[in-house]
Amino acid sequence: MTQLQAASSTASDQTADVPTDASTAVRTRGLTKRFRSGQVAVDGIDLAVPRGAVYGFLGPNGSGKTTTIRMLLGLVRPTSGQAWLLDEPMPDAAPAVLPRVGALVEGPGFHPYLTGRANLARLDAADATADPRTATRRASTALERVGLLAAEHKPFRQYSLGMKQRLGLAAALMRPRDLLVLDEPTNGLDPQGTREVRLLIRELAQAGTTVLVSSHLLGEIEQVCTHLGIMSRGRLLLQGERSVLDSRGTTTVQVTVTHGHAASAVGVLRVLGLDVTAEGPVLTADLGPIDPPRIPAALVHAGIEVTGFEVRRPSLEQVFVELTGEGFDVAR
Amino acid sequence: MSMSPRARWAVPAVVGAIVAAAFVAPPLMASASSDDLPDVTPEQLVTDVAKAPDQPLSGTVVYTARLGLPSLPLGDVAGASPVNLLDGSSTLRVWSDGDDRSRASLLGPTSEYSVVRDGSQAWTYSSTDDQVVHYSIPASDQARYESMQAQPQVAGDLPTPAAAARSVLNLVEQYSSVTLDAATTVAGRSAYDLVVTPKDSDTLVGHVVVSIDAKTDTPLRVQVWSTKDTKAPSMEVGFTDVTFAKPSDAVLSFTAPAGVDTKDVVVPLPAATDEPSTALPEGVTVSGTGWETVVQASGVNVAGLLAGSTDALSTVPGSKPMIGSKSGQKLLDEFGADGSDKARELDLPTLYQTLTTAVPEGRLVQTTLGSVLVTTDGRVLVGAVPGSTLQADAR
Amino acid sequence: MSLVEAVPSRASSYWRLQRSELRLVLGRRRNLVLLVGLALVPLLLGLVLFFTQDTALSGQGPAFLSRVTGNGLFLVVASVFLCLPFLLPLTIGIASGDAIAGEAAAGTLRYLLTVPVGRSRLLLVKAVGALVFAAAAVASIAVVGLVAGAALFGVRDVTLLSGDTVPLAAGALRVLAVVVYVGLSLTGLVAVGLFFSTLTEVPVGAMAATVVVAIVSGVLDTIPSLHAIQPGLLTHHWLDFAEFLRLEPSWSVIGGGLAVQAAWVAIFGALAWSRFTTADVTS
Repeated sequence: MTQLQAASSTASDQTADVPTDASTAVRTRGLTKRFRSGQVAVDGIDLAVPRGAVYGFLGPNGSGKTTTIRMLLGLVRPTSGQAWLLDEPMPDAAPAVLPRVGALVEGPGFHPYLTGRANLARLDAADATADPRTATRRASTALERVGLLAAEHKPFRQYSLGMKQRLGLAAALMRPRDLLVLDEPTNGLDPQGTREVRLLIRELAQAGTTVLVSSHLLGEIEQVCTHLGIMSRGRLLLQGERSVLDSRGTTTVQVTVTHGHAASAVGVLRVLGLDVTAEGPVLTADLGPIDPPRIPAALVHAGIEVTGFEVRRPSLEQVFVELTGEGFDVAR
Repeated sequence: MSMSPRARWAVPAVVGAIVAAAFVAPPLMASASSDDLPDVTPEQLVTDVAKAPDQPLSGTVVYTARLGLPSLPLGDVAGASPVNLLDGSSTLRVWSDGDDRSRASLLGPTSEYSVVRDGSQAWTYSSTDDQVVHYSIPASDQARYESMQAQPQVAGDLPTPAAAARSVLNLVEQYSSVTLDAATTVAGRSAYDLVVTPKDSDTLVGHVVVSIDAKTDTPLRVQVWSTKDTKAPSMEVGFTDVTFAKPSDAVLSFTAPAGVDTKDVVVPLPAATDEPSTALPEGVTVSGTGWETVVQASGVNVAGLLAGSTDALSTVPGSKPMIGSKSGQKLLDEFGADGSDKARELDLPTLYQTLTTAVPEGRLVQTTLGSVLVTTDGRVLVGAVPGSTLQADAR
Repeated sequence: MSLVEAVPSRASSYWRLQRSELRLVLGRRRNLVLLVGLALVPLLLGLVLFFTQDTALSGQGPAFLSRVTGNGLFLVVASVFLCLPFLLPLTIGIASGDAIAGEAAAGTLRYLLTVPVGRSRLLLVKAVGALVFAAAAVASIAVVGLVAGAALFGVRDVTLLSGDTVPLAAGALRVLAVVVYVGLSLTGLVAVGLFFSTLTEVPVGAMAATVVVAIVSGVLDTIPSLHAIQPGLLTHHWLDFAEFLRLEPSWSVIGGGLAVQAAWVAIFGALAWSRFTTADVTS
């Protein structure tokens, strides 16, 4: 996964029925969902989430993220295509695989009249592979981990939005997991809560859990991700390692020089092959293939005093806009 | 999730098919074997039935009347009551020891009306009004009871296939022609279908089919077809299941429940004659013969009966005039002579107005099997004949 | 990473979920209110009959009512009879219509399924939960009816519909049989409710549809021209509980009534299974 790959249903050169890369935690091939209404929610996507990754599954509302996640978890039957979780085919291997997968799907869902702890006990009772003798201890640990221990005996309906979200996380953490699928885990959380979720994800990843986390807000989780996949209109526009993704789009440089040196600086940069626009002492240019350190070095070499130098990498949002020609937060 | 969705949706279809087969197949199989009965002539069969001893039995009887009456405002308000027999289907349970002990119960959904006969005594009990009527014969008649095969008459009696067959077969010799139809199955038993067709032309009875159990010669079903309706029998009484075994003693005896009203009625046995049917009560005359018989009772206080007056009961001549036609008998029973308290709960005047139509002679009820004419001067004429015949007789 | 501590056996894990489901159903305040409401019927009925027994009103009203003052055992039968047309179907409709749709509406269904709970197993657990609640509903009427009846009127030998009297023990057994039959009569409706519950994410819709089925079935049962299909109707044999109060209960009538319920359970159970195991869970 060092190469950035544009993903689409036709771009796949995989033909085997089983994933060839044994290190994927999540993998799909041509995964498609057409609802009975005729709406194509997911259109032939090839996801690949390496083990140990924190995979940011990004896209605007309505781009097909949640439907994809529902197909991964066996809640929705794909119209065509296949999905593997931890190298087991879904939904056939659901009984064996899902106990190793913690999931938060489209917001927390609990019985409003049961307490937080009772809700966790209910889910644990449903888990055929869970040891009932350790249920209480595991629930306590999970509640403590998300900071809900103080509110464990309140009925769920009295929880704030943030507490509800935490309880959802606690349910996903009731047992040690190989994979966490978190759909919009920061929804409804205040900035402090969002930070805590990021911290939790980082912590889990360090412990070896693969995390697939989706969001329609790019900035919120972008920072913790090692890998990214971007959905738009049911298609996976691109996915890959975050560092590689960062090189997509147009990187610009901005150089500020002392007054009077602007004209000569423009000359130096043109020699380097940059297309420069100058606004007083501030020069801006698309970076292109040039190694950034060469720029201040060349200027200094020409005796020009450089007071500022900045390489502006594209934000994911910019990348998205460049890829789709539309804004990120637009639901379709 | 190994089965495809389509295969999963096939499961309810298969279950539905199995359920349908389970409910449809048994009746089909039950009616499959009615061939291979020994040959018998109709006349021989009639004689066999007459000679055959009454069998101890118990079973379920369905009685259906399609008399073409205006729809009655009865509903189930009255609970199980003989009035239900006027129209539609009724279910009865019958038990008999083949001798002089029997029980018949008319079943309502949550009620029951029972007639229990135990030798010289009889009881009726209605669960709806929780009332017992106890019939017995006077002590002076007790000795005679032993020698006679006559049991006390009961107001609001219930129909059985045996009784219906008896009244039909009584008319066979003189007034009817009999033929044998293809063998049939009644209550899961192979049976002969004896078709009795009146020779008389004026009766409303087209023909009567009596189904007779091949093994015991017991009548299992009687269907009376009207000349006016050839699609379905106008009156049908038959077993839907029957067991030939002596019922338990508990069924054949009756003890009035504690704390319940018991009305005692003492019924003298009819005078000892060779032919009881000729001993007509005072005020009753009979004209015509066979299927065309018309019974005329005079001096009946119809208005009083309808008002529910028990005194008016005494104006009904005799407790039970014998009429040739069973259905005519029934109409008289239920319409006039059944003055039990239960009938009072119904709105009798309204019922009377609904059922009858005004004619010059009085008011007339016409059904597919018979007519009843109540004249303005207090006579009641009943017969298995069209209303016009009764009107002519009344003039 | 090894995740499995001590994997419980299949049966014990089933019962763990089943117990949790029963706690959920029987512990829910709304359901308890329903049970208490049903239990009030025999209590109020008993009190009304007790205070009117010496007035002109006594002995009036539908079947069995007139027998209550004479024998408290009949308060059980009369109460069950009064609740059968509407209150019991309503209770069943609420419990069974809520079974799957309620979890879908609360958003808990997707979490149960990703735990994971097999869909067939979850449906079975839900069906048993709804059946137990139906049994609890009938039992609450019966128990309160028995206690109130015995306290207000005493119990004695039972007069059957035929007018014959059976000893108290035999009579009590017959009343118990009435209650059991009524409970079993409701199983078909539970299956119908369960099926509706798999069709929607709106529990109220499934509840209402279930109650409507019971009412429509009752109406169809009274239309004479539908004579041919009436024996197969869901509610047609409900009143056959009276068979246990006849002199010789007909086992073919009782068996026939139960067979019709079994048929409804089989068909609608299969439909619910097909629907639930193939449906996309998008709630």
